[in-house]
Amino acid sequence: MITFTLNGRKVETDAPPSARLLDVIRDEYLLIGTKEGCGEGECGACSIFVNNLLQNSCLIPIGSIEGAEIVTIEGIMESDQFKILDESYSEAGGVQCGYCIPGMVMASAALLAQNPHPSEAEIREGISGNLCRCTGYNMIVDAINLAAKKGDGLWQKK
Amino acid sequence: MAEKIIAYRFDQVDQTLSQLNKEDCTIIAGGTDVMVLYKSRRGVPPKITKPIVFIDHLNELKQVYKKGKDLHIGACCTYSDLLNDPLIPTPLKNAIKTIAAPAIRNRGTLGGNICNASPAGDTLPLLYVYNAKLVLRSVSGVRIVAISDFIQGVRRVDRKSNEILAEIILPSELEEGAYAVFEKVGNRNADAIAKVGFAGYIRTNGEVIKDIRFAFGAVGPTMVRSVDIEKKLIGKTIPLAGADIAQVLSAFDKIIKPIDDQRSTARYRKTVALNLLRYFLSRKQYQHN
Repeated sequence: MITFTLNGRKVETDAPPSARLLDVIRDEYLLIGTKEGCGEGECGACSIFVNNLLQNSCLIPIGSIEGAEIVTIEGIMESDQFKILDESYSEAGGVQCGYCIPGMVMASAALLAQNPHPSEAEIREGISGNLCRCTGYNMIVDAINLAAKKGDGLWQKK
Repeated sequence: MAEKIIAYRFDQVDQTLSQLNKEDCTIIAGGTDVMVLYKSRRGVPPKITKPIVFIDHLNELKQVYKKGKDLHIGACCTYSDLLNDPLIPTPLKNAIKTIAAPAIRNRGTLGGNICNASPAGDTLPLLYVYNAKLVLRSVSGVRIVAISDFIQGVRRVDRKSNEILAEIILPSELEEGAYAVFEKVGNRNADAIAKVGFAGYIRTNGEVIKDIRFAFGAVGPTMVRSVDIEKKLIGKTIPLAGADIAQVLSAFDKIIKPIDDQRSTARYRKTVALNLLRYFLSRKQYQHN
């Protein structure tokens, strides 16, 4: 039995230890905001936080996260930071098909928490592990820039 | 029903080592390579046939400390840990910045990059020119091996089934007059597996070369390094004469034997590898770092 915290709630799973965290959160806890793109850590659609660090849930064996705090896109949706990101992505036109967006928003939130005023190069580096096949990235970069401005002072807050 | 997958996650390194002494296991640190290697279809756990031993939570394997002239780096430090650690040398940080993307750097470990022994392992060329030593621990004690002896082939390392890679030892500071650099050529900046990797190291006294080393990645089954070729440059002065550079290039031309694969062609890889070496050798000065 593996015990961990999922979006603030203590949970237990009897999934096999090599099962991917991605499959467990989607299939067992029905948190389907986290997407599978490549399944190899190259696209970032499955990005989540493990102990506040951005990671790819497709590469994480469930057995390794005993006691860890896992936060998915659903876990940040009530936060003020998410509201700012939500608004900024809409305003900048950063969402087209939307498949990459949960991962992209997690990467954006991770970046801004670490660096509330990123340069364009730092934004591009921050989302460098997230592929988007629709937007060409420019609108996403704009969205993050906008979120940094709109949410000034908000990002460093835990 | 599939066969039950057994996994261990001990609180101590010693317990981990006793288990490894009892049975052959698959060791998982970050898992960023293992999980891809054994990947199944969606919803199906990766098919890892041996029992699994998780080690990435073991604090004992995440320490970075100086001991005399050596820098000891815990094998389970993630790339992000190393980027944030003031003791890690700048050339190694620069190499780490070329690896994958933030999410993977938060998970992948230096020890994992070594034990995975990919021909394109990003940290490997630099670790070779640093003459990195590896600390392997087992129930019988500690064994220290040079990285160039440890890595024996594609995904083949000299790790006995009861051992774990515990630490990587580098010089804590480059000697006076020394300079090291890492270059990576890939399809894009993030998440690219190298087409060619190159690391160079040089130590000069005034204009005289006291020590010089090069290693190439992704152009052979393991890193390509030749101490014999390096020795020929010791005692020469910089800037190096055209004839000396040509001689070194032609010597490496014979021992660099890349392959064609989905990432690049043998011809491209060899041309770029030799160009990186030519560029390194043609410099008029080397800024100590």
